[in-house]
Amino acid sequence: MDKTYLIAADTGGTFTDVVAFDSSSGRISYGKALTSYSNLADGALEGLEYADVDLGRGYLFKHGTTHVINAFIQRNGARTALVTTKGFSDLLEIRRGNRPVPFSLRYRRDPVLVARDLRFDVDERIDAKGNVVVPLHEGDLQALGDRLAGLGVEAVAVAFLNAYVNAEHEQRAVNILRKRLPNAYITSGSALSREWYEYERTSTAAANAYVGPQMRRYVGMFDARLKQRAFNGTFYMMGSNGGVLSTDRSIAEPIALVESGPVGGCIGAARYAAELRIDNVIAFDMGGTTAKCALVMNAQFDVQPLYYVGGYDHGFPIRTPVIDIVEVGAGGGSIARIDNGGDFTVGPQSAGSEPGPVAFGRGGVEPTVTDANLVLGRIGTGKFMGGRLTLDVERARQAIATRIAEPLGFGNADGVDVAAQGILDLANVAMTNAIKEISIERGYDVREFALFVFGGSGPLFGTQLARALSIPRVVVPPHPGNFSCLGMLLAPIRVDLARTVVGEVSADTLREAEVVFGELEAEARSTLARECGSVATSGERSLEMRYRGQKHSVQIRIGRGATVETILTKFDENYSSRYGHVNADCAVEIVGVRLFMEGDVARPGLESFGSSSQVANPTPSSKRVVYFPRPFERVETEVWDRSSLPVGFKISGPAIIEEYSSTTVLLPGDVAEIGRLGEILISCDLS
Amino acid sequence: MKRGDAVNASVTGMAKVDERKIGFEDLITLHIIRNDLVSIPNQIDRNVTRTAFSQLINEYKDYAVGIVDPDGDLISQSRGSLLIFAANALGTAVRDGIALHGADNIAEGDVLISNHAETLGQHLNNVVMYTPIRAERGHGEIVAYFCILMHWIDVGGILVGSSTSTSTTEIFQEGIQFRSVKLMHRGERSEDMFRMIRYNTRFPDELIGDVEAQIAGCLLGRDMVRQIVGKYGVDRFHSAITTMRDHARHLSKVAIEAAPKGEFSAYAFLDNDGVNLDKTVPIGVTVRLDGKRITVDYVNVADQLSGPMNAGRNGGAVAAARIALKCLISPDEPLNEGDFDLLDVEIPEGKFLSARRNAPLGLSGHMIPTTVDTILRALAEPFPDRAAAAHHGTYGAYAFHGKSAATGKPFFHLDTSVGGWGASSSMDGYGPSRSNVHGDTSDVPIEVQEAYYPFRFASYRLRCDSGGVGEFRGGLGVEKVYLVTGPCRITLKIDRTKCAPWGVAGGGEGKVSEVDIVRRDGTHIRSFKGTYDVDDGDRIVIRTGGGGGYGHAWKRDLDRVKTDVRLGYVSRDSALTHYGVFFNDALEMDVDRTTVRRREMAQSPAVAREQSAV
Repeated sequence: MDKTYLIAADTGGTFTDVVAFDSSSGRISYGKALTSYSNLADGALEGLEYADVDLGRGYLFKHGTTHVINAFIQRNGARTALVTTKGFSDLLEIRRGNRPVPFSLRYRRDPVLVARDLRFDVDERIDAKGNVVVPLHEGDLQALGDRLAGLGVEAVAVAFLNAYVNAEHEQRAVNILRKRLPNAYITSGSALSREWYEYERTSTAAANAYVGPQMRRYVGMFDARLKQRAFNGTFYMMGSNGGVLSTDRSIAEPIALVESGPVGGCIGAARYAAELRIDNVIAFDMGGTTAKCALVMNAQFDVQPLYYVGGYDHGFPIRTPVIDIVEVGAGGGSIARIDNGGDFTVGPQSAGSEPGPVAFGRGGVEPTVTDANLVLGRIGTGKFMGGRLTLDVERARQAIATRIAEPLGFGNADGVDVAAQGILDLANVAMTNAIKEISIERGYDVREFALFVFGGSGPLFGTQLARALSIPRVVVPPHPGNFSCLGMLLAPIRVDLARTVVGEVSADTLREAEVVFGELEAEARSTLARECGSVATSGERSLEMRYRGQKHSVQIRIGRGATVETILTKFDENYSSRYGHVNADCAVEIVGVRLFMEGDVARPGLESFGSSSQVANPTPSSKRVVYFPRPFERVETEVWDRSSLPVGFKISGPAIIEEYSSTTVLLPGDVAEIGRLGEILISCDLS
Repeated sequence: MKRGDAVNASVTGMAKVDERKIGFEDLITLHIIRNDLVSIPNQIDRNVTRTAFSQLINEYKDYAVGIVDPDGDLISQSRGSLLIFAANALGTAVRDGIALHGADNIAEGDVLISNHAETLGQHLNNVVMYTPIRAERGHGEIVAYFCILMHWIDVGGILVGSSTSTSTTEIFQEGIQFRSVKLMHRGERSEDMFRMIRYNTRFPDELIGDVEAQIAGCLLGRDMVRQIVGKYGVDRFHSAITTMRDHARHLSKVAIEAAPKGEFSAYAFLDNDGVNLDKTVPIGVTVRLDGKRITVDYVNVADQLSGPMNAGRNGGAVAAARIALKCLISPDEPLNEGDFDLLDVEIPEGKFLSARRNAPLGLSGHMIPTTVDTILRALAEPFPDRAAAAHHGTYGAYAFHGKSAATGKPFFHLDTSVGGWGASSSMDGYGPSRSNVHGDTSDVPIEVQEAYYPFRFASYRLRCDSGGVGEFRGGLGVEKVYLVTGPCRITLKIDRTKCAPWGVAGGGEGKVSEVDIVRRDGTHIRSFKGTYDVDDGDRIVIRTGGGGGYGHAWKRDLDRVKTDVRLGYVSRDSALTHYGVFFNDALEMDVDRTTVRRREMAQSPAVAREQSAV
């Protein structure tokens, strides 16, 4: 039997999505199942049955999961111990002394992953240059290993000071502990990050150990389940850096899966941007509970080396490459309410799938964003989830009337419309701010980007967001509701590596950097070869650079054979475009080298996802009255079935385009055209 | 998703304006404007962090970003801004500039700076930069000013760092003053001014780098605000600001109305003024609540000091009262002038928190944490569920300085202490963290310090038993040990070692700071203030204070006591003495003896007296 299926499964908080691509027929099939918390693998396998996919014919299986982040948030990871340099076992708890919520007398951070009675220190010390000041006391460490065994520890993190420059003590400590604790999961800071900042590295090691045993079990179990069902292709996990990871690497570095779920959409957006030759794109994903956005420039997304689990205000850092995503609590299920103080809010609370929006008729009483869309006619009553769910518009209208419009003094005839539009506007504000945060903070002009919208609710808001941000162009890819999962199908294999190298930009420093680049590239190549028998197809070197004395560095992408001169020019250009000035008198230094390499794994072409409609002159499937903000108000609006629209077809707004997983809204003045990959390209009227 | 602070949508307080008159769309528009006005300073704040040069700015975050209206009243301020600049530093500088130049003479593209001591009342390193925002580029009325205050790393004066000496006697020894002078005029840089700055600082490259970031942030912020005004119109812009302030005022009003009326007094003191080490410096306040307003009256504070531990009225008395009020009333809401509409501050001129012109102000911030603490102490009775016990209460500043062996260039590394925070009626104190006038201010990593400066860390630990005992325990301080590896100097400016961080409602005191310089030969000096030469092999041990406790320790939940002892936050001795809990060597609790002991403690004469007083 030929193996022709490429499969991706995305386990989310509520649903598990599955997409399968048959490379022999070009056919794509989708499946969806409720996520089962007792056994996360089952949800994915159940979804496969809906998709009618024979696992025996699969040659590649990619899996994204919220497992790791859930373990952190719910604090249900392993019983973990931390081993540090003598005198520094409290680093994890002392943290860095800052309070991001400044005026609160009741400020508090999330609890540490490893409490003080499971933190230990051993004699050893390495200085800032990497010299051994105190040798590692192996006897102490062996005794500690035995003690940890007695304490029922399942995982151990080793994190020593200055191990970023000399990792030898950490490596020896890991080896000793592995011998003494053969069943425990053991990890070290330097194995995960070779960059300075001891708190961040210690926190990273502790976090990795904390989720290690669980992920080792999960990946092993998932792999076994697949094999039971006759799958004998390759199984990959989806990494937060936008590439897939082998099962071995996923087990060694489970923190690399911390944002395993949301990256699929970014990968997809980057591929489409490249094919469509759009330089700058904002990937915008709006689902049931949250909206997420990321920048894609020249078909590259930014990957940030540091991530805060639980958010910057209260959470802890981990050093692992994560696609730079900003998230905000606004989704289709976000609840609108007037609280006791008379404040009108939308989100971050979500009605989720249980009880869900009022219109679902499953017990929800508080109006949501979806209810507002329904009342305004943006969503049709019969088409939710392909007609599997009937929506009760009258119930939604009542809820908005009694809970929002009347308390605010808008009990008159069009009060509900105005209030419902107000709900959408508030959601829009929150999302607009998230997009501004990710663009303006980095010095980019958001108007130069196209807005690429997906997720179940993204296409509903695309044109409205574009107006708020003065963005002229919106793109809706095929299958927006399943786009995140689809994006996983497109993911390459990827390795990100970094090292701290410090020195003023000079021929000497460059030579040193070149040596390190060489080492890192060799390491990356061997990882790619080992994991997928793949050779590197693309990659990029970059230098972390700054003016001497500056704390924050900028990442400068460089090619091979870069010279002092070319590097300095690039730094100046980059700096000036970001911050509007350069400091000609100031010395420039390198503080780190960074690279990534990608290897190819089989991926479908984008044309296979698009429209195959051969209808020459499609007509609207129906008409309905839709509310648009003043001066338009209620307008009879044509509704189109997306699958009927051929490439090149144009529609002028106001109009609604419906499909299985989503609805696209064209506001008055907008013009949409079906592109060659089946995408909807919308030119927005910004006047 | 790494940032947890993406703002969620809400229209706060809007139901209180008369909606029918302005219409729902306008309500939403006002909300959008408010949201933008709050987020613009936050965005510029991040931009500044990324572009500034000195660690004081990008790591320590010694700056503030905000927007003020044409009267100098605060519209919004970034959340990362240091608390000590709460609400008044930016507007105070702008007001003085307007008085000096006349608003008509502050042109489009003008960028002004002020660190004028008499206006701001803070040390001269704090330089406010501001630029006008007109409704339309180049003309139209001024609708606001965009402002960034930065701690300039050095502005001359008798000692490196400018505000570092503990012995200055007049402001002129602490650096150069700029009183709303124009660094840029109609968009053109004044090269004269840049030269003026360059030749009045010890670190010209770093400082000019910071100043460039300050200018870029001001201009970008100005453009962003102008965009809002252009999009929505001046009237709506003003209405949005009014609703923001009304909301802030409303929160204060509700809290003050609900609080008991009366006078509430508290007293604390600083160790000394840095010159006369034996004489303490009193801070006595009386807070009056009449159901409508709140008055902070500095009834018993020291006269202006001869040394640099002084602040002017704005930078001292007013700033401290505002911080205390904001912590108490609406700590989670964005800051604006409306927060302080109901606040009055009374202090005669010539006190050390209201120093006269030309007084030395080098240490102008150092007494503010204790001052804020004292005001909160007075407010603990009328606001039992909002206030907290005292925190470690000091900058705990110390600096290593000298010449780098590698480059021969001078270095200056300033650090401040993290310590425990006070417990409250519902939770243990936080910690370790910096003082209550610091916010999102991070330690410089040990590995970075060791790469640049001639010392290594020998250890860094939480300090057992440093938190005040109580039903809710005070947060812990730390013990930090440095091992010096080459010749340099250390300057200490640690305070609050005599007036321990107090507990509230029967809670115990936090431990105070201790600093020991242990010489290579074993001799040692205990000191809190002064400059010392140190060399290879010397150790510097810094122990920082803990927070005060809340409530009687013998009421503390037994599981919490057990956890504290198991984790070494509290010693077995303290568990027995203060908490009345018996543990054996295996750390098992003796329930019977504990019950008896706790009953005795509850019936002690002190508790009985306290209860009869109630």
